[in-house]
Amino acid sequence: MIANITIGQYYPADSTVHALDPRLKLLAVLVYIASLFVAKGPANYVIAAICLGAVVAISGVPIKFIVKGIKGILFLMLFTAGLHIFFTTGDTLLFSAWFIKIYLEGVTTALLMGSRLILLVMASSVLTLTTSPLELADALERVLKPFKRIGLPAHEIAMMMTIALRFIPTLIEEMDKIMKAQTARGADFDTGGLVKKAKSLIPLLVPLFISSFRRADDLAMAMEARCYRGDINRTRMNTLKMSRTDFWAMGVLALYLGIIIVVRIFFE
Amino acid sequence: MVKGKGLKFFYSAQEEGETPKPALDQLDISVKKGEFLAILGRNGSGKSTLAKHINALLLPSEGTILINGLDSLDEKNVWGIRQSAGMVFQNPDNQIIATLVEEDVAFGPENLGVEPSEIRERVSESLAAVNMSEYKKSAPHNLSGGQKQRVAIAGVLAMKPKCIVLDEPTAMLDPSGRKEVMDTVMRLNKEEGITIVFITHFMEEAAKADRVVVMDEGKIVMEGPPREVFQQPERLRSLGLDAPQATELVIALNKDLEGLGLPLLPPGILDMDEALEAIALRAKASESVESAPVSPSGDSAPALMKAENVTFIYNEGSAFEKKALDDVSLEIKKGEFAGLIGHTGSGKSTLIQHFNALMKPTSGRITLSGEDVNGDKSKLKSVRQRVGLVFQYPEHQLFEMTVFKDVAFGPQSLGLSQSEIKERVSKALAAVGLGEDVYEKSPFDLSGGQKRRAAIAGVLAMQPEILILDEPTAGLDPKGRDEILGQISRMREELNITVILVSHCMEEVAERVDRVIVANKGKIAFQGPPGEVFSHADELAEMGLAVPQPAYLMRRMRQRGFSVPEAVFTVEEAKAAILPLLAAGQGGSN
Repeated sequence: MIANITIGQYYPADSTVHALDPRLKLLAVLVYIASLFVAKGPANYVIAAICLGAVVAISGVPIKFIVKGIKGILFLMLFTAGLHIFFTTGDTLLFSAWFIKIYLEGVTTALLMGSRLILLVMASSVLTLTTSPLELADALERVLKPFKRIGLPAHEIAMMMTIALRFIPTLIEEMDKIMKAQTARGADFDTGGLVKKAKSLIPLLVPLFISSFRRADDLAMAMEARCYRGDINRTRMNTLKMSRTDFWAMGVLALYLGIIIVVRIFFE
Repeated sequence: MVKGKGLKFFYSAQEEGETPKPALDQLDISVKKGEFLAILGRNGSGKSTLAKHINALLLPSEGTILINGLDSLDEKNVWGIRQSAGMVFQNPDNQIIATLVEEDVAFGPENLGVEPSEIRERVSESLAAVNMSEYKKSAPHNLSGGQKQRVAIAGVLAMKPKCIVLDEPTAMLDPSGRKEVMDTVMRLNKEEGITIVFITHFMEEAAKADRVVVMDEGKIVMEGPPREVFQQPERLRSLGLDAPQATELVIALNKDLEGLGLPLLPPGILDMDEALEAIALRAKASESVESAPVSPSGDSAPALMKAENVTFIYNEGSAFEKKALDDVSLEIKKGEFAGLIGHTGSGKSTLIQHFNALMKPTSGRITLSGEDVNGDKSKLKSVRQRVGLVFQYPEHQLFEMTVFKDVAFGPQSLGLSQSEIKERVSKALAAVGLGEDVYEKSPFDLSGGQKRRAAIAGVLAMQPEILILDEPTAGLDPKGRDEILGQISRMREELNITVILVSHCMEEVAERVDRVIVANKGKIAFQGPPGEVFSHADELAEMGLAVPQPAYLMRRMRQRGFSVPEAVFTVEEAKAAILPLLAAGQGGSN
């Protein structure tokens, strides 16, 4: 039941968005997020939403997968919206009862803040849905490379991500197995109070830790045996190359940023 | 290719006051180019330590080793050595680094700084060489053990090595996985001329090598072609090993023939086909062969546990839906010793997890003494107490500070009194042959075999009526295998419990159990007394299961017109069956 677990939320499909250089996608999301913070009025947000919608349409990822991401931040969204509605003061009083006063400005800010959060989360969902974790790790390594000079271990971070991705399914399988084995010995992971539940995790966690250390040991040995020595003199089989589509996409991205700025300066 | 002289190696972690014991002791070794060398030896004999010296993962404390002419003590040679002598390890999971097969194979050449286009070429060549090309975009965790090991071999091949060192690559695999790996290695050796150093606990695999080296206590104690080395079964046994069964059979026969003053069979037999030819030349064929006597099965003892039309579907309703059990009906009788056989994916593991309600059937039901095990949730604990399940590699679930506390975990969860717990723990530990001296030891300080027995005691302490053991011998050396199986047989008699032994090894099961149950593709293919089940040799072979070797020989002899019984599972029985034929054959020609 756990064997077919998928890591992250990659949605494999054959679209232009999927095929884009992961570095470019990473950059695009950063630019998009920045544009959301540059944006001020409704016109900006409408443009941003239309553009994101277009990207989603091209990507072929079903909308429900993208909406799923928003559920996680629903509480945060309602909370901030609430704060804005109740505590922003302005000129146009909409509603007043007892000590509660709601102004028009409060409602608009709440709406705009809400849209900002939703668009932000949706944009990053599009990135993770259309880029496999492996590509992401790869892109991250290459994007961070320039920062190596100031001591950022770009290669090591990417390698750690790759290994984590590789071993998560293995460890989940192992956890499942240990859990069953201890259940067969009468362990009970489901009932009891908080303290009892925490205590019942010991027979699960101790073996899991021990096995993880053993695996780490083995893996280090196997990596050394295959001549691994960090990124000294290391090449990659898959080289990232910007294609014609990537340059087009970059152009579109620049255009988008330009429009947002122009609209912000002249129309809001 | 490899030349080691006076190798000595100490592991640094030594207890105070203890005289350090070398893991390698004045060892000389040489491996010729293109050779297939097998290294045998019990656990802790220094085999792996030697293997790691060939790859410069360990450096000799004394002596020197040259690999492809490079001295491993010279630091600048390390990468050259690791490139020319690749290494494949035991655990298939722990040596695959990337999340995609092709990325993993590329890891070696990437580290060597090979040009991207050439890496791509090497990756596809290497994957083709191990027949894994179609899996290049797969995730490693979706592959079988044998496939993972082949990926690991491809990963080494992509570095263009001259020599591959394999450290028990088949220990964690099932028979079909073992065969996949063995065939691949043989082909690389014969066709690509790659030197192979192969460490194993399986004598049948070592028999395929050009030369065998036997290690004990850090020294080489026997050396030579397999035909010569395996001629000394007693010596091998004293070293914690054994000889292939065919070799043992011919040696046993020759001993008796000598006593009778009859000419001997040719020595140096390595497998049953060779034994068959040697015996057929000399034995007397009888004119008529009566059909296989099938002993009647089906006695009237009451069923303790019953599976009634059990079907189990993994991930029902999703794209990954898979039927693991398909309308299985089965009875386990009280006091029975049953063997459950099937290869990986046959559904045997799923089935035993149904027996103690760790899994719930999609349809059908499991009853224990007539009661549905999933019927009453409050009785789950009592079901799990009555049906003890020992998983594969049970030592991986040890977690307490002392052996005693770990074994006490089960009884404690049953809420027993301290004195009762104490009694059960001592009884359980005694049943697996562990004495009071280990009670206060940390379970992690025990030897491999002891750890496993302590873990089995942890289940026994629940005092189950049925004990199910899933592959209890996996990963052990020959002596460890014999010990644990002997312990299980003794335990069964002493405690008078029902035992189900799950295995993919026929030899292990055949000589011990009352009844064999063969699982295949989620169904029960055959069940009955071993003799009856093994008469379906052809069908079993199709399922990727082999009959025990003595039974195989008997079957082949019957096909050749010799009158021998079919239900023969041990070397001893086979000898008794063949000896009269040889004697008669000799008498006839005189």
